[in-house]
Amino acid sequence: MMAERAFRFGRARHLVGMVGLPPAAPGAVGVIVLNTGLMHRVGPFRLHVDLTRRLNALGYPTLRFDLSTMGDSGASAEAGSREEQIRADVHDAAALLAGQAGCTRFVLVGLCRGAQSAHVACSEAGVAGAIFLDGYIYRTFGFKLRHYLPRLLSPARWRGFLARKLRAALAPEEEVSFGSVYPPRAQVRGELAGMLARGLRLYFVYSGGIGEQLNHPRQFRECYGRGVADHPALRMDLLDGTDHTYTLLCDRERLFGHIESWLQEQFPAAPKTAPAG
Amino acid sequence: MYHGTAGHAPVGVLLCPPLGQALLRTHRVYRQLAHGLATRGIGALRFDYRGTGDSAGDSLALDWQHCLADIRSAAAELRVRSGCATVVGFGAQLGGSLALAAASAAGFARLILWDPVLDGARHVAELDAWQEALRTDPLHYAKPRTVEEAAGQWLGFPVGAQWRAQLAGWRAEPARVPTLILDSRPEPAAGGWSPLVEAGAQVCAMSTSTHWGDLHRLEHAILAPDLLRVVGEALERAA
Repeated sequence: MMAERAFRFGRARHLVGMVGLPPAAPGAVGVIVLNTGLMHRVGPFRLHVDLTRRLNALGYPTLRFDLSTMGDSGASAEAGSREEQIRADVHDAAALLAGQAGCTRFVLVGLCRGAQSAHVACSEAGVAGAIFLDGYIYRTFGFKLRHYLPRLLSPARWRGFLARKLRAALAPEEEVSFGSVYPPRAQVRGELAGMLARGLRLYFVYSGGIGEQLNHPRQFRECYGRGVADHPALRMDLLDGTDHTYTLLCDRERLFGHIESWLQEQFPAAPKTAPAG
Repeated sequence: MYHGTAGHAPVGVLLCPPLGQALLRTHRVYRQLAHGLATRGIGALRFDYRGTGDSAGDSLALDWQHCLADIRSAAAELRVRSGCATVVGFGAQLGGSLALAAASAAGFARLILWDPVLDGARHVAELDAWQEALRTDPLHYAKPRTVEEAAGQWLGFPVGAQWRAQLAGWRAEPARVPTLILDSRPEPAAGGWSPLVEAGAQVCAMSTSTHWGDLHRLEHAILAPDLLRVVGEALERAA
């Protein structure tokens, strides 16, 4: 039987998370799931709960937790940038999972803003891989051709475009936008190249829900170049037809299948072996 | 998760969460409410029913009777942790319905219900309609999804036949304790707050509307800037 346990942990005991352990001897690779947007560690539609429990059943120890000031976690009272906080939080999370399950290497998982957090935290020692769900992707010339050319020739698209503009003019959006600002593409490309050079294995999964940002698998290569996109330690899949948070059960099943396959291929959940000698 | 006070708390509030995505959307406002109550000397306990949130169990195993049993257990835990003699039941949407249904067994001295669901059959019809709208919503899916792909779910969560029948059979009956309804619905629902109002329940209109079933806000946190003030004042009046 799998075991889950809630922890308050971290350098200021300000972080809250759930450690899940496999029913048998845990493997050496732990999976750490980061907050999706501003949502707490349970994830949209309980996605993080279902994912971590499935990974536990496959032999992976897991931790889903709330970063500083999110969900049930408090602030650490440290000065520093958000990026520094995220790295320190992931450092604390890795230490907790190492203590509870003996993991020595970690794979980070994040959706949307969580993917951006994972990108930041990939520099932490012990991080051996990351699964970016709707992670960074930039519009390319190819994207614009594929996106705009068909629209130029469609009267229905023009009607929709004008209706949206009119609606926006008549009833401006009242809600505050919490959208994040992407760093420059060259910076992200360089950071990804650096991760691959350090031996990290990276998996990008894009949903069909970001069609305004990505509209063809080829775009990944257009965006980051062959050096990154064709690197043997990197894989990219586009789960066309799904929405951004995998609302339908069949879409979540499809996502989980992809994640499990990649993890088992790249980080088989073999039990830890005793050091030689 | 218990939000304690410095010493003995004469009153405790059990925060019964709603279900489905509303549980996730209200997490922050529940936390803020619990923290705010604790600073006023009121102990507050948050929890997840089995099969929801962080609690054990599969989402598909959600069961009305189990939820009521979990409320009773949580109320007992709150009494032990806070030492309080008086426990107030608070719940939003279906959390309000469950708090109402469990009021007697959990020993609630008072109820504060935020947009509670009072007519289960009508709510089931709403959920079915929202799910159908989701399936064909162009902002979610470039092409409409099939009926089969969307079947057996309500807005991201699996729905078992038993849960569906239990919810459809829910008809609110007034509790025998003072009840305050916090109304934040954007539009008055058919039936109003009957039969609770006829039995003496008070209604307080909230300053901001809550869009519980809006497909385009499924991932948006629900905000209620005056919730702590309204709940705090209600508890002070009752004290």
